[in-house]
Amino acid sequence: MSSDLERALSKLRFDEQVLGYSLMTKAGRPFVSFSFPAELFPRVRDSINLYKTDLRLMTIDTDRGLVVLSPVDMNWILTVLYVTELQLGLAIAKTKNVMRLLDGIELPPPPEEFEESAESNLKVLESIAMQAASTSPVVTPIEPTGEAPFAPAEPEPGPVQEEVVRLPEAFNVQPSTVPKRGPDYGTALSLDSDLHNEMKQTHRNFGFDVLMLVDGALSVAQIADSMFQPNERVVDLIKWAASKGIVEAPLCDEKADSEPTMGRFVKCPKFIGDLSKIKGKDIEILRLCDGKKTTEEIAETAGVQKSQVIQIIARNKKHGIKMIGKTV
Amino acid sequence: MPKIENPLFVSLYAQWVDKVLAETNNIDEANQRLRDMGKEMGSNLYLTTELASKTKDTVMTREDVAKLIDSIYRLLFDRKPTDVDMKSARGSVRVADKDCIWCQDITLEGMRGFGYCEAFSGILEVILEFKGVDAKVFQELCKATGADNCTWKVRLV
Repeated sequence: MSSDLERALSKLRFDEQVLGYSLMTKAGRPFVSFSFPAELFPRVRDSINLYKTDLRLMTIDTDRGLVVLSPVDMNWILTVLYVTELQLGLAIAKTKNVMRLLDGIELPPPPEEFEESAESNLKVLESIAMQAASTSPVVTPIEPTGEAPFAPAEPEPGPVQEEVVRLPEAFNVQPSTVPKRGPDYGTALSLDSDLHNEMKQTHRNFGFDVLMLVDGALSVAQIADSMFQPNERVVDLIKWAASKGIVEAPLCDEKADSEPTMGRFVKCPKFIGDLSKIKGKDIEILRLCDGKKTTEEIAETAGVQKSQVIQIIARNKKHGIKMIGKTV
Repeated sequence: MPKIENPLFVSLYAQWVDKVLAETNNIDEANQRLRDMGKEMGSNLYLTTELASKTKDTVMTREDVAKLIDSIYRLLFDRKPTDVDMKSARGSVRVADKDCIWCQDITLEGMRGFGYCEAFSGILEVILEFKGVDAKVFQELCKATGADNCTWKVRLV
């Protein structure tokens, strides 16, 4: 819980357009703060108290910058101070991105007594969460029973696995692709790691911002949209991250390139009119026009030429025939 | 039976779409192919029509973009689009057309995400590019897949 919360808040900490933030209680008391000017707290508290439970997303324009307040849950409110020149819409979007990260994190209610704005409060929160969790049934770990009868005494060294290095181009990332967190996701977000430094050098803060939104649910297009960035830029970043094991993305499959995976595109006539108005032999053909068979299949079923089927369909189009396009 | 406007064009475009769908592996790729072809068309239109001379040299604001889209519509379809929305999305312009010429009489099933009229995205994108506007254009809604209007989103980069 605590590390997830820290990770979400660190998105704000390393955002150059964020001057400070504070996780506040619903009573307007700052619990954990970072560079948030103390003189703004009374004003924020007043606003929180004014709206109480009705508080949704709220902005306050101050001399120090733009403050965005957003309730995390029943107990907590996230307050972020952005630089004055940041557009309102962008400030709200940035806050919403952090809120999305906080979405799955269950925060315990604040303790009755705490030192306001202390960094160590995050640990306090964690211990409350652990206490709460300890009331739930604990699964007893299976104790080792000495020798495992079927296990070999000495495990044979397995074949040495060669590390496969893949280039970013080897990954097939489309706007609809949903990237997942990879084995090195945590390392890339650790500030003291080489991977993080490499990402910072090649992609600056953009890399960090995109990775924070990779959750296995959002597609590339959705990530790009929420960041007001073009899909292509996010695609390139995800490909790079996939090549480093930071995220998981599908590989370009050579087989898939040669064999269409979408299926064959066909057009199937569908009669939607009144069959009682149809005269002659046309009715037999039109009965077969169910939107599921192609003209070729209708011709085969009816034992007539395809050209005859087309003639009949064309002749009766005024009675209501749709051509349904689909992939099969 | 509704009258098809410009049947020769509609039939040519239908052939074009069929070919793209036969040659591509997924919807995204097909959409991109149509957009790319639209860009070629747009370049040609820009060269062969009076669009360049009859519109402002520099397009700066979203209002300018909207006017340019109106001009493109007048040139290609001799009418205005149903709606050009500059308000609902920040940094974007949405163009809606309830009488879209591209997908007349087309009904698609089970092809969610496919923009039958994506070629027009390419046309808009490349003409905006010629006017100095860095934009990405995508088809958001298509009548062929059941929407009331065909809608394109012009996202200004």
